[in-house]
Amino acid sequence: MVTIEFQAEVIPAACTGCKKCVWVCPTEAIHMEDNIAIINKARCVSCQNCHGICPDDAIFKEERAEPLVLGVDYKSVDQDQIAEICRNSNIHPMQWLCLCTATRCREGAAAILQGAKTPEDIALMTGVRSGCTVYCTMMSLRLLKGAGIEVVKPPKWRWYDTTQTLWEFPEELKETYEGYFLDEDKDVFRKF
Amino acid sequence: MSHISVAELKKANPGYIRKSMYGPQTPTGLPAMRAADLPGMVALPVQELFPDVPKAIYVEGDDLAPIRKATEAALANVNMDMIKPRSTVNILTSQYGFMIMGGWAYREMVKTIKEVVEQRTGCERVRLRIATGFRLKEPEEIIEHYELDKMFNGKALPALYIDQGIEIDTPIGPLMGIKRIYDADFIIHAHHGELRELDMHRMISRTMKPFSMSYARFETRCVHHMNFGPRSSNLIPRLIYESPFVQKKFTFGIFMAASPQGVTGIEAGNDLMPIDRKLALLAFKSYGKIRELYNEIKDCVCVMDGTGEPRYMVGGGTTFGNLTEAELDLFDLDAVPVSLGFGLYQPPPTQPKLKAVNPAIRALVMNHFWTGVPQMELATACPMILVGQEMAKLVAEDCMNIEMIKKVVTSDTLPNALDFAKRITGTDKVIAFDGAYGAITCSESLAELLIKQAPVADRRVEEELMPKWLRQRGFDPSEAL
Repeated sequence: MVTIEFQAEVIPAACTGCKKCVWVCPTEAIHMEDNIAIINKARCVSCQNCHGICPDDAIFKEERAEPLVLGVDYKSVDQDQIAEICRNSNIHPMQWLCLCTATRCREGAAAILQGAKTPEDIALMTGVRSGCTVYCTMMSLRLLKGAGIEVVKPPKWRWYDTTQTLWEFPEELKETYEGYFLDEDKDVFRKF
Repeated sequence: MSHISVAELKKANPGYIRKSMYGPQTPTGLPAMRAADLPGMVALPVQELFPDVPKAIYVEGDDLAPIRKATEAALANVNMDMIKPRSTVNILTSQYGFMIMGGWAYREMVKTIKEVVEQRTGCERVRLRIATGFRLKEPEEIIEHYELDKMFNGKALPALYIDQGIEIDTPIGPLMGIKRIYDADFIIHAHHGELRELDMHRMISRTMKPFSMSYARFETRCVHHMNFGPRSSNLIPRLIYESPFVQKKFTFGIFMAASPQGVTGIEAGNDLMPIDRKLALLAFKSYGKIRELYNEIKDCVCVMDGTGEPRYMVGGGTTFGNLTEAELDLFDLDAVPVSLGFGLYQPPPTQPKLKAVNPAIRALVMNHFWTGVPQMELATACPMILVGQEMAKLVAEDCMNIEMIKKVVTSDTLPNALDFAKRITGTDKVIAFDGAYGAITCSESLAELLIKQAPVADRRVEEELMPKWLRQRGFDPSEAL
């Protein structure tokens, strides 16, 4: 369970309508009305992206009247199916999905089994992407692909679909890049 | 072997703290008291512990002239013929360079690069790009604090990992750079050679790492950290650096080389490989010994008292991350593997614990630090005491460590926090990560231990570890510094 205590708030007079916040919001919580950013509070997970990218300092963080509580109980779905999604993704269910919120990959897989189709869905179901928004995006994409779901890059640059892993490293290139322990590192993961 | 006694040690001189929106908002933006001002804290010179660690040409507070001179000398042998008067050139920098010793040495190196390039090529379109870790507003703070906009005539810009990306074709498919990093005809890679996070780079392709970190979109940072292993991840920056896209723009790399003593020189070249080897040799000789010495500490309280996040705060010229993993020989490429993707995994109880916080760290006193990086493991691995309500507010509102405030306690003053830490841990050995280079700020009892154990660490590195580190990377033993 992730408890979100804050939410983003816009200073309308400072907003210049550049839309940068719209393009980096991990939960599609921002849209524009009359060239002013509008926050959908129900979708805001209070990450730092909109505030961080705003060139006009028009966005700040405000305490929520009521905390937003998000989370998926991984025990509520078939454990074999979680294992299968994780195996297909070369991810251990106990690997971190999100370090900021201490969420495991098994919860991401459970969210997918409960209907999540995009990283944004996973975020709104589990509460991930409410911190740095970095590592959880990658793990969400890998889990979705592992579940056989086609991921479609959103407009602009919320995220790009580049998820190369050690497991897909071309065999024919290994000799060229000796000294990087490509096979040995695979074994490190396999041990567990 | 040093003959210095604890009684001879002087008062410590902590590093500069830069004010930031990411730090505690005290009335001054600074802590009420520095760790160096605590009773019984002393400065233990690195030179006394390891006389053969390469010496500094600059430490904080010195005149900057040696940095300028060394930068000019390093650039003298660099080819800049590709840069024409009407070319556009981006000097690429990273936020951490501005944390080293107050940031003024890095600023001076950047300023000198700009002036030399302009003078030699006639190019007047030299711009600055400042990349960052997780703190999205930090580059703006850096530009303002160091007056970089003025230095670059309004052409100094942040480059954020969530900014628009640009595809870079590599042998493993497209990886994503930050468009603003590459929006010039040419790029100059202006970095530093401090050890910083050995657990990540393992001294493999160290000079190239910013190509998959600072200069990369977050997806590519993840490919590096999460999708590859502890050693193989370091191939990602090399693939980007060697890509036709980057090679077409790449001019030269220039590094502020460092040891725990301070800035030891400036290294530059059109090819990063030779610099990579030089920095590795410097790291083995200097940081290798400090790491081993830190491994001799069996119990201590750490006081975080500087600029930045704890992991990258400096004590004795070495980042805290090197103490949190001092019990692991991470220069050894056969040693326990650690990586973010792998280390974040919670292994079964029968397996060795990975990415542990060194059990010698018995408690953490947080006098001053910045948020802006996931670091919950610090609060869960050992008792953490925050100093002051402003620090508590900062932690409570930190979106990257959402549960941290529930795992810590708060004390009103630094002396009270330290007294409490000593009481619950039963140790009087204290080390401060206060930004100091050239000396370790520590308690007299810890200084005594470190003086006694330095020859042990020195001998272990020279006789046992260094030959292995060299061999693993294909160095001839005669190349050792």
